[in-house]
Amino acid sequence: MNPRLWKERATILILYGLTGCGCLVLAVILTTVIMKGAPALSGEFLFEESRNFGSEGGIFYQMIGTLILMAGAAIVCLPVALGSVLFQTEFLHSPPLKKMFRFLIYSLNAVPTIIFGLIGYLFFGVLLDAGVSWVTGVLILAVMILPTLHVSIHEAVESIPDHYREAGLALGLSPGQQMRAVILPQSMYGMVTGTLLGLARAAGETAAIMFTATAFSGVQLPQSWTEPVTTLQTHILVLAQEATNPKALTHAWGAGLVLLTLVFILISVTLWIRSGMEMEAER
Amino acid sequence: MPLTYPVKAVVIISLVLLAGAVFVTLRPGGGTQVFAEETTVIRVAGSTTVLPIVSRAAERFQARHALVKIIVNAGGSGVGIHGVGTRRFDIGLASREITLKEKHRYASSHLQITVIGRDAVACVVSSEVFHGGVRALSKQQIRDIYLGNITNWRQVGGPDRPIIVIDKEVHRGTRHVFMQYLFGKSNARAPGARLVTGSNNEEQAKIAQSDSAIGMLSIAWINDEVVGIGIRDGERVIQPTLDNVRTGRFPIARNLNLITAGEPQGAVKQFIDYLLSEDGQKRVAESGYIPIQLPHTVSWVAGSHSK
Amino acid sequence: MNKQPLFPERGPAFWLTGLAAAISAGTIGLLFVSLVVESVPVFKSEGVSFLWGTDWFAGEVYGALPMIYGSLMVTGLAVVMVLPFALGSAILTSEFLSGRVRLVVKAAMELLAGVPGILYGLMGIALLAVWVRDLFGLIDGNTLFTAGLLLAVMILPTVMTLAEDALRAVPGETRDTALSLGLTRMETVMQVVVPQALPGLAGAVFLGLGRAMGETIAVMLVIGGIDRIPQPWFDLFASGQNIPSKIGREAAEALGFDLQWSALIALGLVLFVMVMTLTTAGHFLLRKAR
Repeated sequence: MNPRLWKERATILILYGLTGCGCLVLAVILTTVIMKGAPALSGEFLFEESRNFGSEGGIFYQMIGTLILMAGAAIVCLPVALGSVLFQTEFLHSPPLKKMFRFLIYSLNAVPTIIFGLIGYLFFGVLLDAGVSWVTGVLILAVMILPTLHVSIHEAVESIPDHYREAGLALGLSPGQQMRAVILPQSMYGMVTGTLLGLARAAGETAAIMFTATAFSGVQLPQSWTEPVTTLQTHILVLAQEATNPKALTHAWGAGLVLLTLVFILISVTLWIRSGMEMEAER
Repeated sequence: MPLTYPVKAVVIISLVLLAGAVFVTLRPGGGTQVFAEETTVIRVAGSTTVLPIVSRAAERFQARHALVKIIVNAGGSGVGIHGVGTRRFDIGLASREITLKEKHRYASSHLQITVIGRDAVACVVSSEVFHGGVRALSKQQIRDIYLGNITNWRQVGGPDRPIIVIDKEVHRGTRHVFMQYLFGKSNARAPGARLVTGSNNEEQAKIAQSDSAIGMLSIAWINDEVVGIGIRDGERVIQPTLDNVRTGRFPIARNLNLITAGEPQGAVKQFIDYLLSEDGQKRVAESGYIPIQLPHTVSWVAGSHSK
Repeated sequence: MNKQPLFPERGPAFWLTGLAAAISAGTIGLLFVSLVVESVPVFKSEGVSFLWGTDWFAGEVYGALPMIYGSLMVTGLAVVMVLPFALGSAILTSEFLSGRVRLVVKAAMELLAGVPGILYGLMGIALLAVWVRDLFGLIDGNTLFTAGLLLAVMILPTVMTLAEDALRAVPGETRDTALSLGLTRMETVMQVVVPQALPGLAGAVFLGLGRAMGETIAVMLVIGGIDRIPQPWFDLFASGQNIPSKIGREAAEALGFDLQWSALIALGLVLFVMVMTLTTAGHFLLRKAR
């Protein structure tokens, strides 16, 4: 037969093979986490505090700790990200400054997260004297997710059609009014998706908080500005080091499953919103 | 892009969740009081050897003293000493003595040691090695293994397998004590090491996972998979048992220390007193260590107690 | 209605958003500056030999070469291992799969890209290290290879999505022209589309590299933790150490602790420079592709 046809078939087969392998690996990951983690899930697991180095009890306060850090980071970051984007799009007019700003944001995104922990501790822990605490953690994570929110909101604002702005200007709106009436409502979806992605990123982050915000035991709800929290991520880290204690390991997988579910829910909602937007755009 | 249904839904749900969370934590009247002034917080951190004792004791202590909260962290003896020296923790846990360098660095903090128990560091091997014939090693043999001069178990009477030498992070108390015994200095290098672990838990897990590993571990962590071998001294073999540690025969023994900045006071003193009481000492025994007989506070420095 | 403000560009909106922008820019700037400033002590003490010293012993000497080598080796391994799979699936998805399937695949990749690093670490320490040891008959599974493999799986979704975007960005006319000249679909893809998309593809790889280089927790648990360059240097099945893993292990001990702290931050600076180079190159290439 035609040798070119053979080559074609063979290459397609190889591509399918490679893709199949990739999908297989990722499917294996998911099934492993689910199968190993499911046995650990129970009412007790989800609502009790951890005991005996995590091999007994549950992960209630760990879940709360993760939520506190996530939510705190988003609350702190959102106004700053929003304000920066609006400043960049409405008031910054010179191209070199714009470029520099974009460069700064992209470089922040590239910073390895452990460095956020190091420098963040220096500033928030030592200079602000918050020590190892949930406040330090929240601030560090807020800086870490800034690029995520910034990029998302920026895209949303940039995609507002020019004639909306022109209409606003024609009506004599000041920049502030323009923002309130035109830009904010139109870019709401960008804020929401950006925040959700930022939350997902913060939820998965371990390195930046492991020596700046967390403690191993004795923590429930932080009752002051300077107390640490315990989180799912660091709990899994500690348990992972007891790799031969089957009970501890099961709890680690269970906590991992909970964490994974949380992150997946956040990302799925983002995808849902985005697909809704695309359908709108196609109309 | 207009505010479509999914976006509105998300925003509303998050606001509701947020309001709920704030309400739950700041419940007016009754329930948890956020930022309560009356609770005393004791921050403890350091050696993973001393950690189980303190964790267990903290649970019981907090059950009796509702206004005290004890936050415990691991990290290693170095972290404990450093943390107390820089006033970041109230109690530092250390499974070794304070070095001269540390004493000088934190001279202004007047570091004080309270001994709450005794422990030994055993040379441990994977159970397969033990059952394969290696029941005891001499100090020289262990030295050679960590220096990389002996690399196969058959060279010391075991199975024909390469030795996986497991070392510990440099600031760990267990390592200080072990290296002090082997080489006479706590910061000796181990060029023959293949892996470095951190906490006692991690080391135990790695030795259990392997079938030809050797490492250094507190005797409280010995189990079926991780067996402590005897130290051969001439004709005698000294097993790592609690008895041998109590009578002083086992050469690699150490105090389990609580470090405070100055004399313990207030809630910290209460907690330390509890640890030294009969109930507290039971926690020491429960965790696999040797309770001390008398409570005593001594202020000393490495060198006066070297083996 | 509304009065015309005296300074049209300087209303409250300006100051508020300006403050936010200043906070953003200021934070980022401070971060970079502190990285440099805090590294100075160790460079003063060790000189430039910090970068090629091979001995690291806290309290005595600080040499970063084993960690730099480990970072390069592990990241290199990750890229080599991920390339065929990421590119293969990108090509398949962008050129040969229907629209609906493609959307599903993209959504799946976004989900997977969000999997927390600690889960990879857990799988590494509980499963992968054991498999690697048994598969290759090693004495221990905590090696540079294991870390590289774990990273490859971690960056697979990211590289794949970006590569797919790059391929899609090649205009449809190019494909049509090639097909009309008698090339088969595969030949079109391989000999026309892929070469056109090369800058974008390279950009995707660089960005994935950047992410792999910065990952801490997954690597920390499986790399072995030995601050040594393997003998011989290309022995992938030896244990080693890379920069994020080293920082992760020693940070708690060195919190604010003069020279050791400075050494760790200096390590961070080196890592940052390496990652920045890769990411900037990646962005530049991606923009060239548009």
